[in-house]
Amino acid sequence: MRYLFPSQPWDRALVAILVALFSGFCILTPGFYNGFHGTLAITEEFLPFGFVALGLSVVILTGGIDLSVGSISGLAAVIMAILIKSYGLNTWLAVLVAVGAGGGLGWLNGQIITRLRVEPLIATLSTNFIYSSIAIALAGASPPYGFGHAFGELGTGAIAGWVPVQLVIFIVLAIGFSVLITRTGYGRRLVMIGYNRDAAHYAGVSVASVERRAYCISGVMAAFAGIVLASYYDAVRADMGDILLLTSITMVVLGGISIFGGEGGILGVTLAVMILGVLRQGMLIAGFSDMVTTMLIGAILLSSIAIKNLFSSRGFDFGSIIRRLSFLRPPERMTSRS
Amino acid sequence: MKSLIKMLLVSASLGAMATAAHAQTSIDTSKTIKVAMVPKLIGLSVFKANEQGAIEAAKSLNINFLYTGPVTASAQGQVDIINSLVARKFDAITVTSNNPTELAPSLKRAMAQGIAVVSYDSDVSPDARDFFIQNTAYPAMGKALVDSVEAYAGPNAQVAILSSTPDAAIQNAWLGAVKTYMAATYPNMKIVTTQYGQSSPSLSLSAGLNILHAYPQVTAIIAPDGAAEVGAAAAIEKLGLQGKVFATGASDPNSIRQYVKDGVIKASPLWDEVGEGKLVMYVARLAANHALKSDDTFTVPGLGTYTVNNKVIIFSKPLVFTAENIDKYNF
Repeated sequence: MRYLFPSQPWDRALVAILVALFSGFCILTPGFYNGFHGTLAITEEFLPFGFVALGLSVVILTGGIDLSVGSISGLAAVIMAILIKSYGLNTWLAVLVAVGAGGGLGWLNGQIITRLRVEPLIATLSTNFIYSSIAIALAGASPPYGFGHAFGELGTGAIAGWVPVQLVIFIVLAIGFSVLITRTGYGRRLVMIGYNRDAAHYAGVSVASVERRAYCISGVMAAFAGIVLASYYDAVRADMGDILLLTSITMVVLGGISIFGGEGGILGVTLAVMILGVLRQGMLIAGFSDMVTTMLIGAILLSSIAIKNLFSSRGFDFGSIIRRLSFLRPPERMTSRS
Repeated sequence: MKSLIKMLLVSASLGAMATAAHAQTSIDTSKTIKVAMVPKLIGLSVFKANEQGAIEAAKSLNINFLYTGPVTASAQGQVDIINSLVARKFDAITVTSNNPTELAPSLKRAMAQGIAVVSYDSDVSPDARDFFIQNTAYPAMGKALVDSVEAYAGPNAQVAILSSTPDAAIQNAWLGAVKTYMAATYPNMKIVTTQYGQSSPSLSLSAGLNILHAYPQVTAIIAPDGAAEVGAAAAIEKLGLQGKVFATGASDPNSIRQYVKDGVIKASPLWDEVGEGKLVMYVARLAANHALKSDDTFTVPGLGTYTVNNKVIIFSKPLVFTAENIDKYNF
């Protein structure tokens, strides 16, 4: 049986947690609720993590991992800044080039993994070092800053003064990724590879080409996150993406995507992005120190994986025990594991 | 022309009156205000020394004081914290920045909400703060660093630089001053290499060892960063080069005390971090009261009289630690 503690209840649990957290902070923490726009603007401080998490979801669904997302976003932001500042390129054209460069770097990851047969963990760990050193070398002693008001709108602007631009882009992209994974042949193949690589191969799926495109997507999203960070801070630094990786992996896993691949969906990831973001910002506003919030995020990652594994057939399979209790039994599913 | 002179005269006399008024009236502390101090990261002894001074001053200034910062030396972490302080409606935020540009947008938002912003040690871009407290004038620090090794390694020394990161604002400003002073005063002194220890004790130590292995002619290491100076001194001691190679830098007395006593570091300039923390609180109080102008003077009991020059306040001359005086300072 595939659905043990099905993804549906997981998503429902995430919704409940998000609602509880959000309303809890609004009521209990003075300063968290700051008018409609003021409260939504909190999302600007964590959505770059969300962009990375969306791209990373695709890679993790195949059972792979991309550790180079942080350095790709730093490098892409530096490339964009240099094109604008040193070569006088139009800002939005530079953004396009940088996002394209991110895709190229991701594609290179895919080539290394599929053609040279290097494990994703090792391959992207190595390219992480390479990309970040290139970024440091390009950025130099005084990294560029000040990209103009129009570009700043991407990271800090609001549509009609109400809804942050970042939030609108994130929602559109999340819907796009959800459609990609659940409604297209590519998405189906992606999940199939993660679920059972050999079966996918014998079913005629070109595993390598699907994987290459997955890493390319991850690179594009990482680069986009870097651009948004550059806009938010109105400055670039080679190491500005370093903080993205670990939190983004946490978001993907908390969102219900199995770290082994083949399981989970974008809705969960979207909810997890909101939960971790609201939690961190809310705790900071409530006056907890950075130390406590960082510690809590570690604890959440650990417990979410543990809970998921305990309930899934890959772990202790508590889910099947619970399902035997008739009052908790979900509708029977036709999918079967073997 | 005449009206211009008149205007200048009037403004000058107004300025003088304002100065006189300040010198006489004490600081208005009737209302309790909330002031936060945001260091580059929490858990570093120099920043704790600032905190110690700030806590002392906060009591007498009717300030509700909070010391909070990121776990790692990241500007993005500082921005998260500053945003939360804005949401909590603090009256003043004081900050020493990890880099000058990334903090600017969020500090500007704070200023737009009427929060007084005071930067100290490492500045942010000038339009993103009300006042900046510079620990020591850069040329004075550059001179103190060079003199600290020249006295022992001689005016013809081959010097290595061990800094923190290539884009660290304050280190680069000091190193600029070091080069200027060196070129003007000791033309035979030569900088043979510049390396970076990323403010990490272990990376600084290995960078120090690399320097000593690769450049045996080096007789002095200028390491103007807390971790870098300790790394350079530890490398010299590890290779048994005490008395042959001399280190100096900018580190708190507690972390270099042993090396100063061993003679690896003969002299090391810094400033009184505890006193600086006090001054930060006084300036925060004055800025939150709107009682300080871009060009002004004010007196801090126990510290002295300070001049504000285009929103910049210089805290003190460099304080050079030597084997004779280092035990007087504990931070």
